[in-house]
Amino acid sequence: MSEEILKALTQLFAIITKQDGGVTENERQFVINFFQQELDQDTVKEYLELYDSYSGYKKQGTSGEDEKNKLTSVKDSVKTLGICKKINKTLAQKQKAVVLTKLLELVGSDKNFTPQRMEIINTVSTVFNIVQDEYKLIESFVISQQAEGLNFADILIVDANSAKSAELQKHGHAHIEGHLAFMRIRSVDMYFAKYVGDQSNVLNGFIMQPNKVYLFSHGSTIKTQAGDALYYGDLVANFNEELKTAKLSFNALVEEFKFPNGGTGLRDVAITEGPGKLIGIMGASGAGKTTLLNVLAGLERPTKGQILINGFDIHSEKERIQGVIGYVSQDDLLIEELTVYENLFYNAKLCFANFTEEELHKRVIEVLENLGLDQRKDLKVGSVLDKTISGGQRKRLNIALELIREPAVLFLDEPTSGLSSRDSENVIDLLKELSLKGKLIFVVIHQPSSDIYKMFDKMIIMDTGGYHAYYGTPVEAVTYFKKATHQVDSNRGQCETCGNVNPEQIFNIIEAKVVDEYGQPTSKRKVTPPQWHDMYKERFKISRIEDLKEEPPHNLNIPTRIRQTVIFTTRDFLSKISNKQYLLINLLEAPLLAVILAFIIKYKSAPGGKEYIFRFNDNFPAFILMSIIVALFMGLTVSAEEIIRDRKILKRESFLNLSWNSYLFSKLAILFLMSAIQTLSYVLISNLILEVHGMNLAFWFVLFSTACFANVLGLNISSAFNSAVTVYVMIPLLLIPQMILSGLLFSFDKLNNLISTKGKVPIVADLMASRWAYEAMAVHQFTDNDYDAPYHDYEREEAKADFKAGYLADELKKRNRFVVENMDLKNDSVQALVAKELKIIRDQLADEAFREGLDKIKPEETLQPGKYSKALGESLDNYFEEYRKYYQRIYNQNVSLIEKKMSFYEKSGFNVNAEKNRYHNESLSDLVKNVNAKNRWIEYKNEIIQQINPIFQEPRPKNSLDYRTQFFAPEKNFFGLRMSTFLFNGIVIWAMAVFFYITLYFEILKKVVDSFGKVNIPKRK
Amino acid sequence: MAMRILVVGLVVAFLTACGSGKKPDEQAFLNSLDSAKNQGPSIDEEVISSILQQIPSPLEISVLLKESGTKYNFSLLNSPDNLSKYNSNFRKALNLGIYGTDLGYTNIYEQNQDGIKYLSAIKTLADGLNIGQFFDIETIGRLATNSKNLDSLLLITTQNFNSINHYLQTQSRANLSVLLLTGGWLEAMQITCQVGAKNLKNKELKEKIGEQKIILEQIVLLLSFYKDDENMASLLKDMESMKAAFDKINITYTYKESTMEIINGVAVIKDNSSTTIAITDEDVISIKDLTNTIRIKIIS
Repeated sequence: MSEEILKALTQLFAIITKQDGGVTENERQFVINFFQQELDQDTVKEYLELYDSYSGYKKQGTSGEDEKNKLTSVKDSVKTLGICKKINKTLAQKQKAVVLTKLLELVGSDKNFTPQRMEIINTVSTVFNIVQDEYKLIESFVISQQAEGLNFADILIVDANSAKSAELQKHGHAHIEGHLAFMRIRSVDMYFAKYVGDQSNVLNGFIMQPNKVYLFSHGSTIKTQAGDALYYGDLVANFNEELKTAKLSFNALVEEFKFPNGGTGLRDVAITEGPGKLIGIMGASGAGKTTLLNVLAGLERPTKGQILINGFDIHSEKERIQGVIGYVSQDDLLIEELTVYENLFYNAKLCFANFTEEELHKRVIEVLENLGLDQRKDLKVGSVLDKTISGGQRKRLNIALELIREPAVLFLDEPTSGLSSRDSENVIDLLKELSLKGKLIFVVIHQPSSDIYKMFDKMIIMDTGGYHAYYGTPVEAVTYFKKATHQVDSNRGQCETCGNVNPEQIFNIIEAKVVDEYGQPTSKRKVTPPQWHDMYKERFKISRIEDLKEEPPHNLNIPTRIRQTVIFTTRDFLSKISNKQYLLINLLEAPLLAVILAFIIKYKSAPGGKEYIFRFNDNFPAFILMSIIVALFMGLTVSAEEIIRDRKILKRESFLNLSWNSYLFSKLAILFLMSAIQTLSYVLISNLILEVHGMNLAFWFVLFSTACFANVLGLNISSAFNSAVTVYVMIPLLLIPQMILSGLLFSFDKLNNLISTKGKVPIVADLMASRWAYEAMAVHQFTDNDYDAPYHDYEREEAKADFKAGYLADELKKRNRFVVENMDLKNDSVQALVAKELKIIRDQLADEAFREGLDKIKPEETLQPGKYSKALGESLDNYFEEYRKYYQRIYNQNVSLIEKKMSFYEKSGFNVNAEKNRYHNESLSDLVKNVNAKNRWIEYKNEIIQQINPIFQEPRPKNSLDYRTQFFAPEKNFFGLRMSTFLFNGIVIWAMAVFFYITLYFEILKKVVDSFGKVNIPKRK
Repeated sequence: MAMRILVVGLVVAFLTACGSGKKPDEQAFLNSLDSAKNQGPSIDEEVISSILQQIPSPLEISVLLKESGTKYNFSLLNSPDNLSKYNSNFRKALNLGIYGTDLGYTNIYEQNQDGIKYLSAIKTLADGLNIGQFFDIETIGRLATNSKNLDSLLLITTQNFNSINHYLQTQSRANLSVLLLTGGWLEAMQITCQVGAKNLKNKELKEKIGEQKIILEQIVLLLSFYKDDENMASLLKDMESMKAAFDKINITYTYKESTMEIINGVAVIKDNSSTTIAITDEDVISIKDLTNTIRIKIIS
């Protein structure tokens, strides 16, 4: 209190007391007491003299000067106003309330309540902006000599009676003579206590004078003579109407909690609480504070025991208590790219589906104001390194994110760590206020200041090894531990003069070490954690609060899944576009790669090397592969960090029980959009530079599909691993097999025998998106470019006929002859060969289109060992001759059709060669026709497999599910349906994406990785 | 905002990039087919193949050239770079013949580097005609790395041409064989005429040109079997114009009894008959010009 104020107060005291009868001895004594509390001995004298001179003490006695008196009273009134205005400027409302009670008490000290005196005090209260009703309350409370008459809602009487004496007042029961009266001043949320009776009750270790008004501050305790302890928290709860309506019971019994590695985290912790409590959790580091918090919050499941909220198990009956729990972890759970306001706004949007935008805005602003963040609302949160808002503000914003939905039970892990003492106090103040609204709040706290410590209703003290050392009111903790170690002065929890509590003391006692003979502390503790635990169990009996069997209050109203997706997407989108660096890199990456790649592989390819012609660019097949790798790479890198980065936010939002599906969909929406833009820009630019014409849409579709597949794959690894580094190490592991098995770098026919199947793409390769994408692009470019497309059907017929006429006819004939010559030999190995040859012929004729002469032979039935005859061999031989001629004809027809079509185009004014230069690529054409095949066909596993012209070879499915074909097949079989390779492969890539979406949804990869993590590596002893 | 512009830009670029020239539609082509005759030659394949067998390899001319002392001249040949211009089977086959002759020419002059280029071009054209199997590119590649192997390489190639001819005939594709032969012959004519026109005094060379009259007649005969085909018909027309130029040349055959002489104790029968070929310088020039015109049509 400043000198100025004290002077003003002295004047005020003087003015009041000198009215109507002047200062009495009692009143003067009261003023002296007041000065003694505030000042040292020397100054008390000084101020007392001042008081005496103002009040005219000792000059009295010359009475009968009524007129003079009246004049002074007017003067005094003016003076009073002046003083009050001065006080108004400097004192907080709370302090003003204290001043007012002091004034009333002063008057009450001699019960000289003259109208004039009361008038002045009333004036003071008006100037202090204290509402009339409240003034009435204060006046009655201070002045009244009895408790019975106090009929106010803000009065609590504690006595031995079982019923209350007045209608409005509140009543509590205790073994006490007389009455303890408590008053709440609602506007400033302060409490005053007063005792009327003859017993000596102790308030915070000091005897309460009867009829004296005491400030009943946070953490205060009153001990009655009979030994009852009345705690601040319990008494204050009586005033709280909200508490009475708040239906909440929290019963936790954790018999044991074991860490995944087998260590014990918690033992025998029982906590039972109702609504409106602020509970602190303290303990030495490693004592299991955070573990306890996590277990209580339901983040970890106790090995033995259960946690019930209103009787609902938080693990098994999750849906019943949806949104009841809030959790603020020690880490920042902010979206760094969004502003303070946006962080809160989108969070609120996810919590309150029933709110309009306006209501949401109001609510957000309200919370921001409550937390003093309204000035900072448009600042970007920024990362810890790139700070835009202070640490305290970050912390408050973290809390705000939970507060906005007002969960009934709130858990906070060290909300004050790293904050200044003022910030810490603000935060705890805020929590206190919330608890008074009926919330149950658990706070892990570390080294709290005395004020903060006293604000808690209960304190849980944990000891090393997860032992429960104490659970009760905070101030009593000090006395309990002092007593337990037989310290002197053990009754006094707090400092006699300043009311400070030193929580450090508790830990000094708990962890006190045995001292050796040289006075050096040893590592052995005087009292071990189990001993403390036993001692605690002996002394304290926790009465379990009855489980309320009704759903706890929650105002959470989660939006529909679709709305959630929209909200998630908007939030993510905003955060992405506000990160300029991220955006720029991701948008420029694709065009840059396109320019680099296309520029490097564009050379003067025309014969003679004079110019660039697309047709002769030998790099084109490799370019397609690179494009796919680029798509995969971009797709993976853009998604690989997504979930890891959000993991903390997901942890927080897990309490909201939001849809995981919606979250994933929002991720995919943004990633797919990004991939669409990236692949589009890549295709446009590279195709422009390389002069690839007419392929933009098709290439884009394939690359986009591939990138989307990579996106989903990336999200899988992002969800499974716990650090970005691991994820980036995973990328080559995923990409390189895609390259190896893409079909271009290594021929599928020349792979390890274990995996390769001649004439078919190996199954391992079928698992690679790159192979499907490559095939789709290559086949589409070859068959559907503007030049080749009109001839493709003829070319295919031509190639098929050529193979049959040129190779197959002779080969089958030869085999038939072998059968004819050897069928009569009795040699087993020869018979096996005969059977094999018959099978080959049978297979080839099974779906033969040329039936002339074949129908009589009925190859299915007759081409079996035993049924075959020489005559049949003869007719088969003739058939093959006809077969050959037939296909020669087909061949020639198609060749001539192509010739005719070409000349038809030439005649219609088209330059066929220019078209070919523009659309056709020789290198790719050689690749898909496999012109370099050494053998046109090979025999493999009793089958003739065509090696040449895979692009013209139609699939021969064994059944409707047989999708397998040679690489570069023009068509695919899909449940008996023929469809183009381009379409089919597109479907396959998307099906793979869907498959990985499912594994992502069920977090299968994460479960697998986690199960590896659980394998214990035995430690060396 | 910037992003929106980017997206719109990309989409616009995307849409505009898709447009291209219009081709006559499929229906128009099918309609044109109906009116055209769609038949193969009605002549017996065996007749064709017996004529084909009689025509000597054009490579012989090259030997003559080298012996006459003329220098190697690459510009006389069809550049392998022209390869990309041959899209139809008709042109592929003609030029395959041309390149075959060119390969022989480079071989006789031992121009290995150029030879390899022709080999590669031949392989490509053969692939295009579905007769690539006669060229094992691995063997060719392996042999081509060492110039000493060139002889065997050429031997293989020459044999390949024979096998190709045989294969085509068995596959009812003798028309290609005819074209292959025509192309080869035409190229040989071209080289000989170009050299001959510069060395008009070289009687042997001139006579060699004149001798070709007989071969040309057979070629014209062969081509006439296929005159239903548009391309073949036009080639036939060109060849007939050439034949008209050759008609001015008179070949007279004087028969004399053969005699037998003993040389070093071995009996040798001596052919005393002689053929006289009356060919003027003008004839040579006009044949050269005609050959050139026809050839340019084919190779470009």
